[in-house]
Amino acid sequence: MTDPRPVPSLSTRSRVAVLCVLLAALAVWAAAPFARAQAPVIIRMATLVPDGSSWHLILKEAADRWKQASGGRVAVRLFPGGVAGDDPDVVRKMRLGTLNAGVLTSVGVAEIDKSVYAMGIPLMYDSYDEVYWVHEKMRPKLEASLEAKGFVVLNWVDGGWVHFFAKKPVAVPDDLRALKLFSWAGDAEAVEVWRSAGFNPVPLPSTELATALQTGLVEALGSPPQVAVISQFFNHARNMTALRWQLLQGATIMSKGAWQKLPADVRPQLLEISREAGARLQKEIRDAESRDVEAMKKRGLVVVPVSAAQRAQWETLTESLYPRIRGKIVPPEAFDEAMRYRDEYRKGRGAAPSR
Amino acid sequence: MSDEARSALHGSLSAPPATALARAVRRLEHALLILALLAAALLPLADTLGRPFGLHVPAGADYLQQVVLWLAFLGGLVATREHRHLTLSTAELFGETSRVRRFGRVLAATVSAATTAVLTYAGFGLVFANREEGRVLMGGTPVWALELVMPLALGLMALRFAWAASRGAVGRAIALAAIPAVFALGLAPDRLVSLAWPMAAVILVALVLGTPVFVAMAALALFFFFRDGLPVTAVTAEVYRLISSPTLPAIPLLTACGYVLAESQASLRLLRFFRSLLGWMPGGLAVIVIAVCALFTTFTGGSGITVIAIGGLVLPMLRQDGYPEGFALGLVTAAGSLGLLFPPSLPVILYSVVAGTREHNVPADHLFLAGLLPGMLMIVMVAAYAVCKGQTLRIPRQSFIPSEVVTATWTAKWELAIPVFVVGLFLSGTASMVETAAAALVFAIFVECFVTRDLHVFRTLPAALVKASVLAGAVLMLLSAAMGVTSYIVDAQIPDALVGWVKSHIESRVVFLLALNGLLIVVGCLVDIFSAIVVLAPLVVPMAAAFGVHPVHLGVIFLANLELGYLTPPVGLNLYLAASRFDKPLTTVVRTVLPFLLILAVAVLLITYLPAMSVGVLEAFGRS
Repeated sequence: MTDPRPVPSLSTRSRVAVLCVLLAALAVWAAAPFARAQAPVIIRMATLVPDGSSWHLILKEAADRWKQASGGRVAVRLFPGGVAGDDPDVVRKMRLGTLNAGVLTSVGVAEIDKSVYAMGIPLMYDSYDEVYWVHEKMRPKLEASLEAKGFVVLNWVDGGWVHFFAKKPVAVPDDLRALKLFSWAGDAEAVEVWRSAGFNPVPLPSTELATALQTGLVEALGSPPQVAVISQFFNHARNMTALRWQLLQGATIMSKGAWQKLPADVRPQLLEISREAGARLQKEIRDAESRDVEAMKKRGLVVVPVSAAQRAQWETLTESLYPRIRGKIVPPEAFDEAMRYRDEYRKGRGAAPSR
Repeated sequence: MSDEARSALHGSLSAPPATALARAVRRLEHALLILALLAAALLPLADTLGRPFGLHVPAGADYLQQVVLWLAFLGGLVATREHRHLTLSTAELFGETSRVRRFGRVLAATVSAATTAVLTYAGFGLVFANREEGRVLMGGTPVWALELVMPLALGLMALRFAWAASRGAVGRAIALAAIPAVFALGLAPDRLVSLAWPMAAVILVALVLGTPVFVAMAALALFFFFRDGLPVTAVTAEVYRLISSPTLPAIPLLTACGYVLAESQASLRLLRFFRSLLGWMPGGLAVIVIAVCALFTTFTGGSGITVIAIGGLVLPMLRQDGYPEGFALGLVTAAGSLGLLFPPSLPVILYSVVAGTREHNVPADHLFLAGLLPGMLMIVMVAAYAVCKGQTLRIPRQSFIPSEVVTATWTAKWELAIPVFVVGLFLSGTASMVETAAAALVFAIFVECFVTRDLHVFRTLPAALVKASVLAGAVLMLLSAAMGVTSYIVDAQIPDALVGWVKSHIESRVVFLLALNGLLIVVGCLVDIFSAIVVLAPLVVPMAAAFGVHPVHLGVIFLANLELGYLTPPVGLNLYLAASRFDKPLTTVVRTVLPFLLILAVAVLLITYLPAMSVGVLEAFGRS
């Protein structure tokens, strides 16, 4: 049984049609970049920050100020919302030179130097004051190491504390052990650490997280409250444990090659603008933290309290995990240094952790 | 694609070469492909089976990533040998021995060899960058060493393209000479920039004369990045990003599953079942195809897998039932895009993640609920067309015999179990997307080799797996090259420019919605659905809010529109997949899809201007 209609003549015509479309598409691609004449230094900066969000606006404003401060000699092209890829992609592209800068989480920074994970050791720190006291102590060394590897830090901005969100209330480690815990598929070491402590991590790509929560493949995850709101994870995991599990550190990083292409006379000023923008971003994120929890509560979120005795259980757990985290996830020197500074801080404050 | 390589639907591989060395290379390639495919299936499956007992493969995801990289590039390499890469193939218009034909083959090969040579260079650049990262897989293998497969396979591809330039030494020498020539041009960027248009024209002519589409797209991407003063590694970085994305292994796995079923007698058993059940309806089989495709797309997340896995299965059935080839081809290509709005479709979830801001929340379950009627509308309209077609073509109808339904169902029970099994695995939360795909492949192999015994484990299965991997390789090469082009479009901020224009020229809501439809169709033509969502959704959401469009309604419009993007040239994914799977010229596929495209366009307009259909349902459930 074959098609009775004469095919060749028609298909020739449609071939021509397809070609016309292709030509038109080509013209669009080719015409676009012609607009740029005497080109300034273009800094391509990528981030996971959602497009149009208040965070994105702050970045955009900083980009404009860079342009002004440099008298138009520097232009920043922002790629928000992860269009240029996930954090590891962004770092890879910075190495290749197809991107020049990125507003990254610690996952991205760790692609360059894993020491940054020292700020995210679970239950190591009780407050922002504490973690930033340690951070300030460790910063010069960390930034020098990043620079030696070809990257310049413009500012440090964290994403807030990671909390557990789960389908059932989680107050003690055993509650969490009973649940299937989301674990990022690219982080084999973390999966092993969880498993060694009797948990049930399910390694998955983050893109599948929302579906997996719906189908029940995953029943719990760790996330800062803001991310839980934006990504609506909390709709399917309505119990938030009131435990500051770990800090999601982040930074704005630029490749050294790109940094050196910037006009030398305005570099200090540009750095200053970045620092200010970072501070504004940090304030915005802090303000959002409590506001987001309130907003989620109104929509059915249950905050599961953790008593002192229950907290002790978590601390016993993390103490037992530290030997594995040290070395497997955080480089040993960085881990020890962080621990030492934290103890120094607690001694200096004269004892008990204040929250 | 040249005539000697043109083959039937389930074409066989080329005859083994004469020399012992070439035969050994061929065997090695095939063995590696089969190993990679089986590893890609067994790694995720081991995780699923081990999960209830707290067992898993350490660093399984990392290994899987590397296995798929090997599968893609080795598959691409063998596809080059077998001339299985998708081409626009106008060369057949000229006689086999004509001068145009011979010139065309040399030119196509020259451009292909030069492009893949530059890709090789860019591939090495990427591997070196990843070496700096210094990631080591559990077990001690450095990741960069495994990634060497990418530049090495590309390099061999360049040589294979040059070799295929002609039967004589002159043509091959010309094609080979293009490799140093293109690098020489690369050393003189200013010269190359001034040659922008001639270069683009050469690429385009080569495309028409038989250069594979993936090569032409890669060439354009490489060229434009280079012209903007960016490293050409931008393209390979994007290729790597796509191939190493964790959900991607589902594509080769489901491709292979479809192939295994297609090579067995499954299509005959299923055909008997469908006939017994719906043969009494006019256009009965076509309607069933639509329903099955929609169901399948729902959980394959609109990655175009449906065309390959189901299309390959049902096309022979439709033909056997008496549907003309054009209609059958258009139907399976178009049906592969239906069902995108139903849960748990990935694009819907992606949209909800991307479009949701603090001010405009778009929960995925709201989108699914609001998408129910619009999704059904698209299916019903296409089905109605199929019924009419069945009526006018006088496709033989059957009387309904209950006993035959029982017998046919029983005969086809194993194949019928596959979708139930797969949906069950996924919806029960037992397995992830990739694990489900792996389970489907292993289940299909088990059934066809050991239960129905249609395939022999050693005699017929290996060849089926090699062919499946070759197709998967060709498809992955194509998707990768499209990602390269997409990344240039993103880099040049072209979508932003389009949105800017819309913003400054439109006042009324009706016009805005119409413009939105137009914009989304144009973007859907140029960019794949995931990139389109990621790039456009956050930009369109605030504009739509300004025009008073309900955010959930907007989401449904957005996704329904992009559903058309699967079928629109030049980069409609389903067109390429169908052309590649059924070995038809792209232009033929475009023509056969047109009536379906028109029907779906009408559906999209209805969805756009009757918000009651989407938002109304939402309100009825008290969720707005």
